Order: sequence, then structure tokens, then C-alpha cells
Amino acid sequence: MKHLVRIPSPLRSYTAGAAQTYASGDTLTELLADLDSAHPGMCFRIIDEQQRIRPHIRLFINTREVSSLGAKLAARDEVHVICALSGG
Amino acid sequence: MLSAAERERYSRHLLLPEIGIAGQETLKAARVLIVGAGGLGSPAALYLAAAGIGTLALVDHDQIELSNLHRQILFDTADLGVAKAGAARARLAAQNPEITVHAHEVKLDADNAVELISRYDLVIDGSDRLPTRYLVNDVCVLLGKPLVSAAIHRFEGQAMTYVPTLGPCYRCLFPQSAGQMIPNCATAGVLGVLPGVLGSLQALEAIKVLTGIGKPLIGRFLTFDALDLRWQEFQFARRSDCAVCGDKPSIRTVQDSVAANESDTAAIERLEPQQLQALLGLAGAAITLIDVREPHEFSANHLAGALNIPLGELPRRMNEIAPDTKAVFICRSGGRSLAAALQAEQSGRSAIAHLEGGLLSWAATVDQSFVVAPLA
Repeated sequence: MKHLVRIPSPLRSYTAGAAQTYASGDTLTELLADLDSAHPGMCFRIIDEQQRIRPHIRLFINTREVSSLGAKLAARDEVHVICALSGG
Repeated sequence: MLSAAERERYSRHLLLPEIGIAGQETLKAARVLIVGAGGLGSPAALYLAAAGIGTLALVDHDQIELSNLHRQILFDTADLGVAKAGAARARLAAQNPEITVHAHEVKLDADNAVELISRYDLVIDGSDRLPTRYLVNDVCVLLGKPLVSAAIHRFEGQAMTYVPTLGPCYRCLFPQSAGQMIPNCATAGVLGVLPGVLGSLQALEAIKVLTGIGKPLIGRFLTFDALDLRWQEFQFARRSDCAVCGDKPSIRTVQDSVAANESDTAAIERLEPQQLQALLGLAGAAITLIDVREPHEFSANHLAGALNIPLGELPRRMNEIAPDTKAVFICRSGGRSLAAALQAEQSGRSAIAHLEGGLLSWAATVDQSFVVAPLA
């Protein structure tokens, strides 16, 4: 099941500047693995060595915040990767 | 009481039943502090001054540089080299002589944050450093002050509003920042008009919170993509385990806040360029220099003897760093190298350092012939 994934600007160096891409998976874990296979290295910027979402990154399925990488994805769900920005 | 001149100046506000005389008098009585007289602080300050916020203050310790002027619309070319806070006060006082403007020409830090913020009713965060954002958030929570926060990066912006007891704080959304690589405008660039959009939105939120009208961004995180002209809103809730506003907060003082931001990186040695130069000159020094920039940046120019392991490849290539040496991480400006050092520390290595300020600082202080490749 392919899902639209929106990429925050600090991570767009992994997607050749694209603000969105597509990745497959029935759960966030599967989706992130697929994302990383297409964009190597990107996943590590989202989750750490202990498979935890990094504290300056939030993941949303549509508009709902998710804290578990096991969260299931339904057809047409969009995944939003949000990164804390620091510029002022 | 509004004077006759004020009634005329704010007449279009007074026509709005949602504001009216009572709302305008509330704005006149309000005291607002803007942290950072930069891209966000400029439009926020201009609109809040125009709106008749009775006491408006800016805290900023920087001077105006030419590269600020494409977005920091408080300032003119003639202001170059002048302190931002002072120049902002002059501009705002000229714009609206009915209000009082204070300029705090200091860096907001643990020593002054409580004293400064306690003097105001609401805070607008337009700072450009993540540690300052956490400090401002934590102090606002500790003092019970509303906070309107926004941030920008390249073509993207984000905003949220914290009101004590009514919703989550910034740390509920992003629990911690230490050691993470989050570029600011100076390293990543920003479209000049972008902070105009987000800073104006901060002024709008401040007026809503102060006058009690509308529905502020409480528990709602707003993002803006300028290229696609896309606004998105995300719901988020107060975390019961939030370190500052949770049920059992570990941050109870400003010192706790600073410690929380520094704890992850305390074991990492921060080398100034001169210190690294001295270290490299030591005969027999057992160090491994790891440049964590991308290959195209590395191939353009790098320090002699440096090993190139891009940050994203570091977890699987950590074993390439000789075990009995001090691992010194370097990058362009010090963000990625600190993140790399943190990863090394978490992987169990000891003797870890990073170059503070990165190769840009190296080029500025040690070797002015060293050309640092752009990010892309």
C-alpha cells in the first residue's frame, strides 16, 4: 500500500529537494524502511539507534500525532514528517 | 482610557465589535516581549506597535548586518552596525509614539530570562537558536506566561501558541533538542518574505490571546510551505510526561532547563579552531579527524588527513574510526558534527570532540585561505 509522505525541508536533501514522495507499508515501521531504501540515510535522521522517533521529529498520520512506529496505516493515509525548525 | 488621538489612530479596531474600546484598552495595558529582533520579530513588532500594544519590548544582542536586510524589515541600510534592539526601538517609537518601547540589548540566557520574561504579559519567540527556544518555552511555562512561537527554514514555516493550563507547550511537541542537527537561516538560507508571513501571524495570535477573541493555535501546530502555498494544521496534546508542563516535571527552575538542553552533549569536548589547530600540530597525537559533510562538500575542500563519513552513513561506518584515538568530528558549521559526536557517544565511544562553529569558523579564524563548500 503506497502512501504520500511529506518531507520537511531539513530532510529534502535526501529526496533531491522534493517536498513529498511515496513509500509503501502497512505500518510506520514498514513505511520508514521503504523510505530508507529509496532515500538511503534518511531514516536515521527520523529515528535513532533504539528505533525511537527522534525528539526533534514528530510523525503524523493525516493530522493525528503518532508516537508508536507500529501505528497502522490505512489506504489513502498521508504521513507527515515534521522537524523542529530553529530559524527566526 | 484612550485619548482622542488614540481613538482616531485605532478607529478601525474600534469599529470591530470583537475589539471595540474595551479590547483596545486591553491592548494598551498589555506588555509584550519579543525575543529576537530578526526576521520574525520585525513584522511582529511592527504590527504590534501599530496595533497599540502599550508596552512593547525587544531582546536581542546582535548588530544589524547587510545580510539581515532582505527579511528584517525593521531596519534600513543606514542602520548597518547598529544594535538591533536599539534601532528597533527608534523605528517603533516613530511608528507609534503612543506606546512605550523597551530595548534589551542583551542575550537572553539563564541569568536573565526569568527576570526579563516576568516583566511581561506575553512572549513572542522569534529567536534563531533552538536552545533559546527551549529556554523561552520553559521559562514561560514556569512563570505561567502565554507564548507565541514560530520558526522558519528556507521556504517552510511553523507556528504554535501556548497558553498556561489551556494546552500543550513547545516541549510537548518536541521534547528535546540537544545535539540534533537543525540548521538556522544563517546556514540554510531563507526566502525573505517568509518570516513576514509567520511573524505577522505571531502578532495576530498575540492580539487574539490578549483580547480573548477567536481561536488561538492552542494544541494546534501550523505549518506553511511557501512554494506550494500549503498550510497544514496538526493536532497535538499536552504530554503527561512533558519535562516542564507534565504531571511530574523534571524542569522546575531555569537551571533545570539549561541542564536539560546540555545534558546529552556534556561528555563531548567542544574544540575551538585554535585548539584543533594545536591538536593537529602535536607530534604523535592519537586523533581521527572525521568530516561528516556530504561527499560533494568534502571533495571541494577538506582538512588534510580527514576521513569522510557523511552523517547519514555514520551508524554503519562507526567501526572505521580507530578505536584508540580521539574522534574529532568536523562539518561546515558545527551542527552535523555535534550530532555525529552525540551518535558516537551513544554508541559507547569515549574521547569524543567536535569543532565548534565548523569549518566556517576554521576559515574565519585559523586559515583564511580555506574555502568552505556551500551546502548544495
